[in-house]
Amino acid sequence: MAEVAIGIDLGTSNSCVAIARPDGVEVIPNAFGENTSASVVAFHEGGKITVGNAAKAQIIHSPGRTVYSSKRLIGRYFFSEEVKKAQAICSYRIVEGPNHSVRLQVADQQYSLPEISAMILREMKQVAEAHLGHEVTKAVVTVPAYFNDNQRQATKDAGRIAGLEVLRILNEPTAAALSYGFGKGLTQKVAVYDLGGGTFDISVLEIGTDVFEVLSTCGDTFLGGDDFDDRLIDLLADEFSRTHGVNLRKDPFAFEKLKVAAETAKKNLSIDDEVEIRIPDIAKNDAGESLSLERQVAHDEFASLVMDLVMRTFKVCDEALQQANLTVRDLDGVILVGGPTRLPLIRSAVGDYFQKVPKTDVDPDEVVAMGASIHASSLIQPEQNAFLLDVTPLSLRIGVAGGLAETVIERNTPVPIEQTRTFTTFQDYQERVKIRVYQGESRQAEENELLGQFEFAGFRKARRGEVEIDVTFAIDSDGLVKVTACDRATGQQASTEITLSSGLSDEEIENIIERGDTERVHTPSLDDSAELPVPAPTPPPVAAAAPPPAASEPPPPVAAAAPVAQAATPPAGPAGDEIVTLDEPGDDLADDDELELVAGVETPPAEMHKQALEVEDEGAPEDPVPLEGRPAPETPAVEPSAPTAEASEPVESLAGDDVTEEYLGEAGTDLSQYYDDSEKS
Amino acid sequence: MSDVLAPTEILALANILDELDYYQVLHIRPDASASAVRSAFHQSSRAFHPDSNRHLDADHRQAIGRISKRITEAYTVLRDPRRRRAYDEALRGGRTRMQIAEAEAGARQQATDELEGKTPNGRRYSAMARTDVARGDLAAAVRNLQTALTFEPANAHFKTKLQELKGQLEEERRKKRPAPF
Ligand SMILES: Nc1ncnc2c1ncn2[C@@H]1O[C@H](COP(=O)(O)OP(=O)(O)OP(=O)(O)O)[C@@H](O)[C@H]1O
Ligand SMILES: [Mg+2]
Repeated sequence: MAEVAIGIDLGTSNSCVAIARPDGVEVIPNAFGENTSASVVAFHEGGKITVGNAAKAQIIHSPGRTVYSSKRLIGRYFFSEEVKKAQAICSYRIVEGPNHSVRLQVADQQYSLPEISAMILREMKQVAEAHLGHEVTKAVVTVPAYFNDNQRQATKDAGRIAGLEVLRILNEPTAAALSYGFGKGLTQKVAVYDLGGGTFDISVLEIGTDVFEVLSTCGDTFLGGDDFDDRLIDLLADEFSRTHGVNLRKDPFAFEKLKVAAETAKKNLSIDDEVEIRIPDIAKNDAGESLSLERQVAHDEFASLVMDLVMRTFKVCDEALQQANLTVRDLDGVILVGGPTRLPLIRSAVGDYFQKVPKTDVDPDEVVAMGASIHASSLIQPEQNAFLLDVTPLSLRIGVAGGLAETVIERNTPVPIEQTRTFTTFQDYQERVKIRVYQGESRQAEENELLGQFEFAGFRKARRGEVEIDVTFAIDSDGLVKVTACDRATGQQASTEITLSSGLSDEEIENIIERGDTERVHTPSLDDSAELPVPAPTPPPVAAAAPPPAASEPPPPVAAAAPVAQAATPPAGPAGDEIVTLDEPGDDLADDDELELVAGVETPPAEMHKQALEVEDEGAPEDPVPLEGRPAPETPAVEPSAPTAEASEPVESLAGDDVTEEYLGEAGTDLSQYYDDSEKS
Repeated sequence: MSDVLAPTEILALANILDELDYYQVLHIRPDASASAVRSAFHQSSRAFHPDSNRHLDADHRQAIGRISKRITEAYTVLRDPRRRRAYDEALRGGRTRMQIAEAEAGARQQATDELEGKTPNGRRYSAMARTDVARGDLAAAVRNLQTALTFEPANAHFKTKLQELKGQLEEERRKKRPAPF
């Protein structure tokens, strides 16, 4: 049998799988005949796991065992804003794992985010296999264009856990453009406006007969259709509390019902001018009387609730056009992607902004998976008929002194690309150097996403300034970052994929695969119809009332004290490994790991010479030397300034595990809080 | 380089990559137009895109990876006229490769030169003109900028700025004329 590869759109709310064959692209339906499946994972008593719209219907009954919108959490640090926000609104438990990672606690087991995504991918794989009648092992998986390296890597790990070889991590808007323009012999400049459940992406592309070149991409990973729901929920909950004095947010079951009703109402507003929301018996008042929620919402009223969010998307569009050096008049078309773009208010706003009627001939829910499948099939065919030239969405930066981060590769630079910077040692006979790598658009290091840190050791020992080390930063076609270092004189080389601080090590992934939880994903097929659960209830256009939970499981008292089945695996790294994960105690404040940039072009050497210390400086009151205060040498000097106080602190004084734990308990999101524990120990 | 190369040629090309300048990498003449740069980028990328060479062995894939990254680098510098000028200058000095950030810094420096002048006298008189503008003496500003131009006759920024100032001065004079009855 010929080799096949599928395309999977792994969405925040919905996922979709497609396959491209010589005779066309086919979106593969699941056993219920649905072309998309909710990205919801339900953990049933007894161990069975289900994914999809039936799982989504479970949220109301067992909120603590049903995981949704997990894509918002993948590749994030536990202390990030997004995780805090999710903790406030999600009904499942979000806990902290090793290395500031995020884990989900479901009953007595903890799952990492790549595992949850793997379960969804597994479902899509099995849906495809059921349809095709044979095994599928290769796939292209899409991510929002604005995803950073941590999120891309975690998604790739998810593929591996699901038993898929991920041929390519593809940007969603690029996939959409491919699906729109492939094989049509177009020469056009287009914008892809992709508003999903949780993310907004805009990409500007130039499509040629056989080449798809992304000119720019911008996005907002905190903006999507779910935020529209929140606006409506706020309105309804506030009104309810004013009229009845009952706070629906305090009651998880009432709140879930409210959420379902709000989303249904929003969706119906893409068809009707006005909808009625009716939830009978949503709550009881103090007197024990049963209360119902009833409210009419007109499209225009809804539009005014969310208009500022819509306007925010156009700010991002402005930026993308500016980066592409184009105006809306230069564009030949605008392609809509994502569920919320079905709303008339979005269509007309997009039409106004781009001064053209948006293209709606491709289904906004399926276009991404279709594009992914086209790319998948062209990757396994030796003679390829269209190729993609994509860009990196975020600037790649290196930490320098003073808490700053300097650009090495600007955002919207085409990939694959590689850039080299030369550094020198800071101390006589220095043995190791360390580099922090960030992604983001801020000069302030901590305002960017930390990708990890990279250590290079074992090079020639010499007087300070004599060893020259070339550090090469590469971004591949998946958008993944790789850093290598090389001693110029000896050619001795060390390299690593950046060690993900909150990600999974190879060993952890192997353990997860061994444990085989994703194999518990049960995909119903048409044959075992006896087992077919009722498809997700699609409420009639008007009443969005959900039945009260029948045999409702109590809200999760869950395993606060229960033993964690999955022991936290220690971070990878055999003894003697040169690569140190970010959060391993003891790696933060080495006394001898400062580097100096020899060929700095953007930053005066005075700021350059100590970039490994940018975070520590803030938490180090005992450091008497204000870095910025030093006079800048006239020329990029190889000669470093005097070592600073903390540079003589012995390595042994670094924090141990217990100290790290202590800091994890502290409030605050400032990165330095987490990384300078050695200073406080 | 747009033709498909034999595997041995790929390795050979990867080996001499550092000796090639960006024009050679993209297979274009040093005076190639912006659109020629772009189509050369597309052609070269097609030949060396990692996607089109998945069937080769690890060594060759690595070589192709190096080449394709250099192609992107060349394009990223040459597609921007400012960076391209900075690169051309470095190339005349014998360098074939330039980090993008460096080209960008060079481009910014050139822009500053253009704005503020690159000869001592050009800088001096244009600075005086700026001070004149700040204190509202347009006539003096025009005189100083004219002087600056005599030192840097090719400075396009000086020329446009001078036209602008002359226009403003004219406008000012018209307003000062007593209104006719
Ligand atoms: N007809 C509709 N009208 C309005 N909104 C809709 C409609 N259908 C779906 N949505 C909303 O679209 C969002 C989901 O969109 P979509 O399925 O495109 O996102 P996704 O691909 O899962 O997410 P992302 O691309 O951000 O990862 C949800 O907020 C959903 O409520
Ligand atoms: Mg999507």
